[in-house]
Amino acid sequence: MAGALRVAINLNSPIPAYRQIASDLRRHLVEERLKPGDRLPPIRQLALDLGVHFNTVALAYRLLADEGWLELKRRRGAAVMARNAPRAVDHRHIDHLLQQLGHIAAELRSAGMTARQISSALRRIAQGARP
Amino acid sequence: MTSFAWAMMLIVTVHALVFHAMPRFSRPDILFAVTVPDAFVRGAGRALVSRYRLIVWSGAAAALAIGLLLPASWFSADRVGFVMMSVMAGNMLVAASAWLWAHRRARAHAVPHADTRVASLVPRDTSLPGGALFAGGPFVILVATTMVVWMHWDQFPPRPRPLGPFGPLAMGAVYVMMMLTLAMSLARRTRQISTDGLAAAAEQRFLRVNVFVLVLAGYGTAIMLSTAALEAIPSFAGMSSKIWLAMLPIMLFNFGVAVWMLRVGQGGQRTIAPAGREIRGDATPDRAWKAGGLFYFNPKDPAIWVEKRVGFGYTLNMGNVGAWVLISMMLVPVFAARLFF
Repeated sequence: MAGALRVAINLNSPIPAYRQIASDLRRHLVEERLKPGDRLPPIRQLALDLGVHFNTVALAYRLLADEGWLELKRRRGAAVMARNAPRAVDHRHIDHLLQQLGHIAAELRSAGMTARQISSALRRIAQGARP
Repeated sequence: MTSFAWAMMLIVTVHALVFHAMPRFSRPDILFAVTVPDAFVRGAGRALVSRYRLIVWSGAAAALAIGLLLPASWFSADRVGFVMMSVMAGNMLVAASAWLWAHRRARAHAVPHADTRVASLVPRDTSLPGGALFAGGPFVILVATTMVVWMHWDQFPPRPRPLGPFGPLAMGAVYVMMMLTLAMSLARRTRQISTDGLAAAAEQRFLRVNVFVLVLAGYGTAIMLSTAALEAIPSFAGMSSKIWLAMLPIMLFNFGVAVWMLRVGQGGQRTIAPAGREIRGDATPDRAWKAGGLFYFNPKDPAIWVEKRVGFGYTLNMGNVGAWVLISMMLVPVFAARLFF
Protein backbone atom coordinates (compact mmCIF):
# COMPACT_ATOMS: atom_id res chain seq x y z
CA MET A 1 0.00 0.00 0.00
CA ALA A 2 1.42 3.40 -0.88
CA GLY A 3 2.27 5.88 1.87
CA ALA A 4 0.50 9.20 2.51
CA LEU A 5 -2.92 7.62 2.31
CA ARG A 6 -5.18 9.82 4.36
CA VAL A 7 -8.75 10.64 5.08
CA ALA A 8 -9.82 14.10 6.20
CA ILE A 9 -13.03 15.51 7.64
CA ASN A 10 -14.12 19.09 8.19
CA LEU A 11 -16.24 19.51 11.29
CA ASN A 12 -17.83 22.70 9.94
CA SER A 13 -18.93 21.12 6.68
CA PRO A 14 -22.67 20.63 6.15
CA ILE A 15 -21.82 17.18 4.74
CA PRO A 16 -22.09 14.49 7.45
CA ALA A 17 -18.74 13.16 8.69
CA TYR A 18 -19.45 9.59 7.55
CA ARG A 19 -20.08 10.83 3.97
CA GLN A 20 -16.82 12.81 4.03
CA ILE A 21 -14.93 9.69 5.15
CA ALA A 22 -16.65 7.55 2.51
CA SER A 23 -15.94 10.15 -0.22
CA ASP A 24 -12.21 10.26 0.60
CA LEU A 25 -12.00 6.48 0.72
CA ARG A 26 -13.95 6.14 -2.55
CA ARG A 27 -11.57 8.55 -4.25
CA HIS A 28 -8.56 6.44 -3.15
CA LEU A 29 -10.36 3.31 -4.38
CA VAL A 30 -11.33 4.78 -7.76
CA GLU A 31 -7.81 6.13 -8.29
CA GLU A 32 -6.47 2.66 -7.36
CA ARG A 33 -4.28 4.02 -4.60
CA LEU A 34 -6.05 1.42 -2.49
CA LYS A 35 -5.74 -1.93 -4.26
CA PRO A 36 -7.58 -5.23 -3.81
CA GLY A 37 -6.25 -7.02 -0.74
CA ASP A 38 -5.11 -3.84 1.02
CA ARG A 39 -6.30 -3.63 4.61
CA LEU A 40 -7.86 -0.52 6.09
CA PRO A 41 -7.42 0.54 9.72
CA PRO A 42 -9.89 -1.07 12.14
CA ILE A 43 -13.01 1.03 12.73
CA ARG A 44 -11.99 1.93 16.30
CA GLN A 45 -8.51 3.03 15.24
CA LEU A 46 -9.73 5.32 12.46
CA ALA A 47 -12.48 6.75 14.71
CA LEU A 48 -9.89 7.43 17.41
CA ASP A 49 -7.54 9.20 14.99
CA LEU A 50 -10.35 11.34 13.56
CA GLY A 51 -11.87 12.01 16.98
CA VAL A 52 -15.34 10.83 15.92
CA HIS A 53 -17.71 8.17 17.23
CA PHE A 54 -17.02 4.58 16.15
CA ASN A 55 -20.46 4.41 14.50
CA THR A 56 -19.49 7.27 12.15
CA VAL A 57 -16.60 5.26 10.67
CA ALA A 58 -18.64 2.04 10.77
CA LEU A 59 -21.33 3.77 8.69
CA ALA A 60 -18.76 4.94 6.11
CA TYR A 61 -17.25 1.43 5.85
CA ARG A 62 -20.74 -0.09 5.55
CA LEU A 63 -21.61 2.35 2.74
CA LEU A 64 -18.53 1.30 0.76
CA ALA A 65 -19.15 -2.37 1.54
CA ASP A 66 -22.65 -1.96 0.08
CA GLU A 67 -21.09 -0.44 -3.05
CA GLY A 68 -18.89 -3.52 -3.34
CA TRP A 69 -15.58 -1.86 -2.53
CA LEU A 70 -14.88 -3.28 0.91
CA GLU A 71 -15.18 -6.57 2.66
CA LEU A 72 -15.89 -6.17 6.37
CA LYS A 73 -14.55 -8.87 8.66
CA ARG A 74 -15.55 -9.13 12.29
CA ARG A 75 -12.63 -8.10 14.57
CA ARG A 76 -10.26 -8.03 11.56
CA GLY A 77 -11.22 -4.67 10.10
CA ALA A 78 -11.91 -4.00 6.45
CA ALA A 79 -10.12 -5.15 3.30
CA VAL A 80 -10.37 -3.80 -0.25
CA MET A 81 -12.23 -6.20 -2.56
CA ALA A 82 -11.40 -7.04 -6.15
CA ARG A 83 -14.21 -5.73 -8.35
CA ASN A 84 -13.76 -8.19 -11.23
CA ALA A 85 -17.33 -8.28 -12.46
CA PRO A 86 -18.78 -4.87 -13.41
CA ARG A 87 -21.62 -3.98 -11.07
CA ALA A 88 -25.13 -3.85 -12.41
CA VAL A 89 -26.02 -0.30 -13.38
CA ASP A 90 -28.34 1.29 -10.83
CA HIS A 91 -30.18 3.80 -13.04
CA ARG A 92 -32.10 5.36 -10.17
CA HIS A 93 -28.92 6.05 -8.20
CA ILE A 94 -27.15 7.45 -11.27
CA ASP A 95 -30.13 9.72 -12.06
CA HIS A 96 -30.05 10.97 -8.47
CA LEU A 97 -26.29 11.74 -8.68
CA LEU A 98 -26.68 13.47 -12.07
CA GLN A 99 -29.48 15.57 -10.59
CA GLN A 100 -27.12 16.62 -7.79
CA LEU A 101 -24.43 17.39 -10.37
CA GLY A 102 -26.96 19.58 -12.20
CA HIS A 103 -27.56 21.57 -9.00
CA ILE A 104 -23.82 21.96 -8.45
CA ALA A 105 -23.30 23.07 -12.08
CA ALA A 106 -26.01 25.70 -11.64
CA GLU A 107 -24.33 26.94 -8.46
CA LEU A 108 -20.98 27.13 -10.27
CA ARG A 109 -22.58 29.15 -13.12
CA SER A 110 -24.13 31.39 -10.52
CA ALA A 111 -20.71 31.82 -8.85
CA GLY A 112 -19.28 33.11 -12.14
CA MET A 113 -17.85 30.05 -13.92
CA THR A 114 -18.55 29.57 -17.63
CA ALA A 115 -20.00 26.34 -19.05
CA ARG A 116 -16.66 25.65 -20.76
CA GLN A 117 -14.76 26.07 -17.46
CA ILE A 118 -17.20 23.77 -15.64
CA SER A 119 -16.94 21.16 -18.34
CA SER A 120 -13.13 21.27 -18.30
CA ALA A 121 -13.05 21.07 -14.46
CA LEU A 122 -15.41 18.08 -14.56
CA ARG A 123 -13.22 16.33 -17.13
CA ARG A 124 -10.14 16.82 -14.91
CA ILE A 125 -11.99 15.51 -11.85
CA ALA A 126 -13.27 12.51 -13.78
CA GLN A 127 -9.69 11.74 -14.79
CA GLY A 128 -8.61 11.65 -11.16
CA ALA A 129 -7.35 15.20 -10.52
CA ARG A 130 -8.17 16.95 -7.24
CA PRO A 131 -10.67 19.80 -7.63
CA MET B 1 23.70 23.35 59.17
CA THR B 2 21.88 20.11 59.98
CA SER B 3 21.50 17.18 57.61
CA PHE B 4 17.75 17.99 57.40
CA ALA B 5 18.58 21.50 56.13
CA TRP B 6 20.89 20.00 53.50
CA ALA B 7 18.18 17.53 52.45
CA MET B 8 15.64 20.35 52.17
CA MET B 9 18.01 22.44 50.06
CA LEU B 10 18.62 19.48 47.76
CA ILE B 11 14.89 18.87 47.27
CA VAL B 12 14.22 22.58 46.63
CA THR B 13 17.02 22.68 44.03
CA VAL B 14 15.71 19.55 42.27
CA HIS B 15 12.17 21.05 42.22
CA ALA B 16 13.51 24.26 40.70
CA LEU B 17 15.50 22.33 38.08
CA VAL B 18 12.39 20.33 37.08
CA PHE B 19 10.24 23.49 36.81
CA HIS B 20 13.07 25.19 34.90
CA ALA B 21 13.05 22.40 32.29
CA MET B 22 9.26 21.96 32.14
CA PRO B 23 8.62 24.30 29.16
CA ARG B 24 10.71 21.83 27.11
CA PHE B 25 8.67 18.81 28.25
CA SER B 26 6.06 19.20 25.50
CA ARG B 27 5.86 19.21 21.70
CA PRO B 28 7.97 22.01 20.15
CA ASP B 29 4.85 23.96 19.08
CA ILE B 30 3.22 23.73 22.52
CA LEU B 31 4.40 26.22 25.11
CA PHE B 32 3.07 26.25 28.70
CA ALA B 33 0.43 23.72 27.58
CA VAL B 34 -0.88 26.06 24.84
CA THR B 35 -0.64 25.44 21.06
CA VAL B 36 1.27 28.43 19.70
CA PRO B 37 2.77 29.46 16.33
CA ASP B 38 6.49 28.91 15.61
CA ALA B 39 7.02 32.67 15.43
CA PHE B 40 5.86 33.00 19.05
CA VAL B 41 8.09 30.12 20.22
CA ARG B 42 11.11 31.77 18.60
CA GLY B 43 10.21 35.34 19.61
CA ALA B 44 8.04 36.54 22.48
CA GLY B 45 7.77 32.99 23.83
CA ARG B 46 11.46 33.00 24.72
CA ALA B 47 11.07 36.15 26.81
CA LEU B 48 8.07 34.55 28.54
CA VAL B 49 10.11 31.43 29.35
CA SER B 50 12.93 33.61 30.77
CA ARG B 51 10.52 35.50 33.02
CA TYR B 52 8.89 32.26 34.17
CA ARG B 53 12.29 30.80 35.05
CA LEU B 54 13.24 33.97 36.91
CA ILE B 55 10.17 33.58 39.14
CA VAL B 56 10.89 29.85 39.68
CA TRP B 57 14.50 30.47 40.71
CA SER B 58 13.54 33.47 42.88
CA GLY B 59 11.15 31.21 44.80
CA ALA B 60 13.84 28.54 45.11
CA ALA B 61 16.41 31.14 46.27
CA ALA B 62 13.97 32.36 48.93
CA ALA B 63 13.41 28.77 50.12
CA LEU B 64 17.16 28.13 50.19
CA ALA B 65 17.73 31.37 52.13
CA ILE B 66 15.19 30.28 54.72
CA GLY B 67 17.00 26.93 54.99
CA LEU B 68 20.33 28.71 55.51
CA LEU B 69 19.12 31.40 57.87
CA LEU B 70 16.90 29.33 60.14
CA PRO B 71 18.64 28.50 63.43
CA ALA B 72 19.57 24.86 63.99
CA SER B 73 17.02 24.63 66.83
CA TRP B 74 14.24 24.90 64.20
CA PHE B 75 15.35 21.58 62.80
CA SER B 76 14.81 19.78 66.11
CA ALA B 77 13.13 16.38 65.89
CA ASP B 78 9.67 17.65 66.94
CA ARG B 79 9.35 20.37 64.32
CA VAL B 80 11.71 19.39 61.47
CA GLY B 81 8.91 17.75 59.47
CA PHE B 82 6.68 20.79 59.70
CA VAL B 83 9.49 23.24 58.78
CA MET B 84 10.63 21.19 55.79
CA MET B 85 7.12 20.64 54.48
CA SER B 86 6.24 24.34 54.85
CA VAL B 87 9.33 25.55 53.00
CA MET B 88 8.94 22.99 50.20
CA ALA B 89 5.19 23.64 49.86
CA GLY B 90 5.90 27.39 49.63
CA ASN B 91 8.49 26.77 46.95
CA MET B 92 6.11 24.53 44.99
CA LEU B 93 3.34 27.12 45.28
CA VAL B 94 5.58 29.84 43.80
CA ALA B 95 6.69 27.57 40.94
CA ALA B 96 3.13 26.38 40.18
CA SER B 97 1.87 30.01 40.24
CA ALA B 98 4.63 30.98 37.81
CA TRP B 99 3.50 28.20 35.47
CA LEU B 100 -0.16 29.31 35.63
CA TRP B 101 0.85 32.91 35.02
CA ALA B 102 2.90 31.93 31.94
CA HIS B 103 0.07 29.64 30.76
CA ARG B 104 -2.41 32.55 30.84
CA ARG B 105 0.06 34.76 28.94
CA ALA B 106 0.62 32.09 26.28
CA ARG B 107 -3.15 31.62 25.78
CA ALA B 108 -3.34 35.09 24.27
CA HIS B 109 -1.18 33.76 21.40
CA ALA B 110 -2.94 30.39 21.00
CA VAL B 111 -3.47 28.98 17.50
CA PRO B 112 -7.21 28.35 16.88
CA HIS B 113 -8.09 24.66 16.96
CA ALA B 114 -8.32 23.29 13.41
CA ASP B 115 -11.75 22.29 12.12
CA THR B 116 -10.16 19.75 9.79
CA ARG B 117 -9.08 16.37 11.15
CA VAL B 118 -6.79 14.09 9.22
CA ALA B 119 -6.02 10.40 9.78
CA SER B 120 -3.77 7.87 8.11
CA LEU B 121 -5.32 4.94 6.25
CA VAL B 122 -2.33 2.73 6.92
CA PRO B 123 -3.09 0.26 9.74
CA ARG B 124 -0.51 0.48 12.53
CA ASP B 125 0.94 -2.05 14.93
CA THR B 126 -1.09 -2.07 18.14
CA SER B 127 0.29 -5.32 19.56
CA LEU B 128 2.43 -5.49 22.70
CA PRO B 129 6.20 -5.23 22.04
CA GLY B 130 7.69 -8.72 22.02
CA GLY B 131 4.29 -10.33 21.54
CA ALA B 132 2.12 -12.27 23.96
CA LEU B 133 4.97 -14.61 25.00
CA PHE B 134 7.15 -11.74 26.22
CA ALA B 135 4.18 -10.03 27.90
CA GLY B 136 3.40 -13.28 29.73
CA GLY B 137 6.96 -13.49 31.14
CA PRO B 138 6.10 -11.91 34.53
CA PHE B 139 3.39 -14.55 35.05
CA VAL B 140 5.92 -17.29 34.27
CA ILE B 141 8.22 -15.82 36.97
CA LEU B 142 5.36 -15.75 39.49
CA VAL B 143 4.20 -19.28 38.67
CA ALA B 144 7.79 -20.63 38.89
CA THR B 145 8.20 -18.95 42.30
CA THR B 146 4.89 -20.41 43.45
CA MET B 147 6.16 -23.88 42.56
CA VAL B 148 9.44 -23.30 44.44
CA VAL B 149 7.49 -22.07 47.50
CA TRP B 150 5.23 -25.12 47.27
CA MET B 151 8.22 -27.49 47.12
CA HIS B 152 9.73 -25.92 50.27
CA TRP B 153 6.44 -25.72 52.14
CA ASP B 154 7.78 -27.88 55.00
CA GLN B 155 10.43 -25.23 55.83
CA PHE B 156 7.85 -22.54 56.59
CA PRO B 157 6.94 -21.53 60.11
CA PRO B 158 3.22 -21.24 61.00
CA ARG B 159 1.66 -18.65 58.70
CA PRO B 160 1.85 -15.11 60.14
CA ARG B 161 -0.17 -13.63 57.22
CA PRO B 162 -3.49 -14.66 55.66
CA LEU B 163 -1.90 -16.25 52.58
CA GLY B 164 1.60 -16.75 53.92
CA PRO B 165 4.31 -16.50 51.23
CA PHE B 166 1.63 -16.75 48.53
CA GLY B 167 0.39 -13.25 49.48
CA PRO B 168 3.18 -11.37 47.63
CA LEU B 169 2.78 -13.69 44.64
CA ALA B 170 -0.99 -13.12 44.42
CA MET B 171 -0.32 -9.39 44.77
CA GLY B 172 2.27 -9.65 41.97
CA ALA B 173 -0.26 -11.33 39.66
CA VAL B 174 -2.80 -8.53 40.29
CA TYR B 175 -0.17 -5.85 39.70
CA VAL B 176 1.21 -7.45 36.52
CA MET B 177 -2.33 -7.84 35.16
CA MET B 178 -2.88 -4.13 35.80
CA MET B 179 0.38 -3.13 34.05
CA LEU B 180 -0.47 -5.27 31.00
CA THR B 181 -3.98 -3.81 30.78
CA LEU B 182 -2.49 -0.30 30.89
CA ALA B 183 0.06 -1.28 28.22
CA MET B 184 -2.64 -2.73 25.93
CA SER B 185 -4.96 0.23 26.31
CA LEU B 186 -2.05 2.62 25.64
CA ALA B 187 -1.11 0.71 22.48
CA ARG B 188 -4.68 0.58 21.16
CA ARG B 189 -6.53 3.61 22.48
CA THR B 190 -4.08 6.44 21.74
CA ARG B 191 -4.53 8.79 18.80
CA GLN B 192 -1.88 8.87 16.09
CA ILE B 193 -1.37 12.61 15.57
CA SER B 194 0.97 12.71 12.55
CA THR B 195 -0.35 10.89 9.50
CA ASP B 196 2.83 9.97 7.65
CA GLY B 197 6.51 10.69 7.12
CA LEU B 198 9.24 11.08 9.72
CA ALA B 199 6.93 12.74 12.25
CA ALA B 200 4.55 9.74 12.24
CA ALA B 201 7.44 7.26 12.50
CA ALA B 202 8.97 9.19 15.44
CA GLU B 203 5.61 9.36 17.17
CA GLN B 204 4.98 5.63 16.73
CA ARG B 205 8.46 4.81 18.07
CA PHE B 206 7.83 7.03 21.10
CA LEU B 207 4.53 5.29 21.85
CA ARG B 208 6.02 1.79 21.47
CA VAL B 209 8.82 2.66 23.92
CA ASN B 210 6.22 3.87 26.46
CA VAL B 211 4.25 0.63 26.05
CA PHE B 212 7.47 -1.38 26.44
CA VAL B 213 8.29 0.45 29.71
CA LEU B 214 4.89 -0.62 31.09
CA VAL B 215 5.54 -4.26 30.12
CA LEU B 216 8.98 -4.05 31.76
CA ALA B 217 7.39 -2.61 34.93
CA GLY B 218 5.45 -5.90 35.10
CA TYR B 219 8.77 -7.81 35.03
CA GLY B 220 10.22 -5.56 37.76
CA THR B 221 7.18 -6.13 39.98
CA ALA B 222 7.20 -9.89 39.42
CA ILE B 223 10.92 -10.10 40.31
CA MET B 224 10.54 -7.96 43.45
CA LEU B 225 7.50 -9.79 44.82
CA SER B 226 8.94 -13.20 43.94
CA THR B 227 12.03 -12.28 45.94
CA ALA B 228 9.84 -11.21 48.87
CA ALA B 229 8.08 -14.62 48.76
CA LEU B 230 11.34 -16.59 48.49
CA GLU B 231 12.94 -14.68 51.38
CA ALA B 232 10.65 -16.55 53.76
CA ILE B 233 12.31 -19.88 52.84
CA PRO B 234 15.36 -20.38 55.09
CA SER B 235 17.51 -21.78 52.27
CA PHE B 236 16.81 -18.66 50.18
CA ALA B 237 17.49 -16.18 53.03
CA GLY B 238 19.59 -13.17 52.03
CA MET B 239 18.27 -13.23 48.48
CA SER B 240 16.91 -9.69 48.67
CA SER B 241 20.47 -8.36 48.98
CA LYS B 242 21.12 -9.71 45.45
CA ILE B 243 17.87 -8.47 43.90
CA TRP B 244 19.71 -5.56 42.31
CA LEU B 245 21.38 -8.05 39.95
CA ALA B 246 18.01 -8.75 38.36
CA MET B 247 16.70 -5.19 38.66
CA LEU B 248 19.80 -3.42 37.37
CA PRO B 249 19.15 -4.01 33.62
CA ILE B 250 15.54 -2.78 34.01
CA MET B 251 16.64 0.30 35.96
CA LEU B 252 19.40 1.07 33.43
CA PHE B 253 16.90 0.69 30.58
CA ASN B 254 14.43 3.06 32.28
CA PHE B 255 17.21 5.59 32.89
CA GLY B 256 18.20 5.29 29.22
CA VAL B 257 14.56 5.85 28.18
CA ALA B 258 14.37 8.99 30.37
CA VAL B 259 17.52 10.42 28.75
CA TRP B 260 16.24 9.48 25.27
CA MET B 261 12.89 11.20 25.95
CA LEU B 262 14.68 14.37 27.04
CA ARG B 263 16.60 14.30 23.77
CA VAL B 264 13.78 13.51 21.31
CA GLY B 265 11.09 15.47 23.19
CA GLN B 266 7.39 14.70 23.63
CA GLY B 267 6.10 12.38 20.89
CA GLY B 268 9.63 12.24 19.46
CA GLN B 269 8.91 15.52 17.68
CA ARG B 270 11.89 17.60 18.80
CA THR B 271 14.08 15.85 16.23
CA ILE B 272 11.70 16.69 13.35
CA ALA B 273 12.07 20.00 11.49
CA PRO B 274 8.95 22.27 11.63
CA ALA B 275 8.33 21.62 7.90
CA GLY B 276 8.05 17.88 8.59
CA ARG B 277 5.33 18.39 11.21
CA GLU B 278 2.12 18.78 9.25
CA ILE B 279 -0.20 19.05 12.22
CA ARG B 280 0.29 21.80 14.76
CA GLY B 281 0.40 20.73 18.38
CA ASP B 282 -1.10 17.44 19.50
CA ALA B 283 -4.55 17.72 17.79
CA THR B 284 -6.36 18.20 21.12
CA PRO B 285 -8.23 21.48 21.76
CA ASP B 286 -6.51 23.82 24.25
CA ARG B 287 -9.79 24.46 26.07
CA ALA B 288 -10.03 20.77 27.06
CA TRP B 289 -6.81 21.05 29.11
CA LYS B 290 -7.49 22.01 32.72
CA ALA B 291 -5.33 23.23 35.63
CA GLY B 292 -2.68 24.84 33.43
CA GLY B 293 -2.48 21.83 31.11
CA LEU B 294 -2.24 19.15 33.81
CA PHE B 295 -5.51 17.32 33.12
CA TYR B 296 -7.31 16.53 29.86
CA PHE B 297 -11.11 16.43 30.00
CA ASN B 298 -12.92 15.98 26.68
CA PRO B 299 -16.05 13.79 26.67
CA LYS B 300 -16.28 14.20 22.85
CA ASP B 301 -12.86 12.62 22.32
CA PRO B 302 -12.92 8.80 21.92
CA ALA B 303 -9.21 8.58 22.85
CA ILE B 304 -8.55 7.19 26.35
CA TRP B 305 -4.88 8.22 26.30
CA VAL B 306 -3.46 11.48 24.95
CA GLU B 307 0.05 12.92 24.98
CA LYS B 308 0.80 14.89 28.15
CA ARG B 309 1.22 18.62 27.84
CA VAL B 310 3.16 18.85 31.11
CA GLY B 311 5.82 16.13 31.20
CA PHE B 312 6.69 13.21 28.93
CA GLY B 313 4.49 10.29 27.99
CA TYR B 314 0.71 9.98 28.09
CA THR B 315 -2.16 10.94 30.34
CA LEU B 316 -5.78 9.80 30.62
CA ASN B 317 -8.73 11.63 29.08
CA MET B 318 -10.76 12.26 32.23
CA GLY B 319 -13.86 12.86 30.12
CA ASN B 320 -13.82 9.27 28.84
CA VAL B 321 -15.55 6.49 30.78
CA GLY B 322 -12.78 4.07 29.76
CA ALA B 323 -10.23 6.26 31.59
CA TRP B 324 -12.25 5.97 34.82
CA VAL B 325 -12.38 2.19 34.39
CA LEU B 326 -8.56 2.22 34.21
CA ILE B 327 -8.30 4.53 37.24
CA SER B 328 -10.60 2.21 39.23
CA MET B 329 -8.42 -0.71 38.14
CA MET B 330 -5.30 1.07 39.42
CA LEU B 331 -6.90 1.11 42.88
CA VAL B 332 -7.33 -2.69 42.87
CA PRO B 333 -3.73 -3.40 44.05
CA VAL B 334 -4.28 -1.01 47.00
CA PHE B 335 -7.24 -3.08 48.22
CA ALA B 336 -5.56 -6.33 47.21
CA ALA B 337 -2.61 -5.46 49.48
CA ARG B 338 -4.96 -5.39 52.48
CA LEU B 339 -6.31 -8.79 51.47
CA PHE B 340 -3.04 -10.54 50.66
CA PHE B 341 -0.69 -9.17 53.36
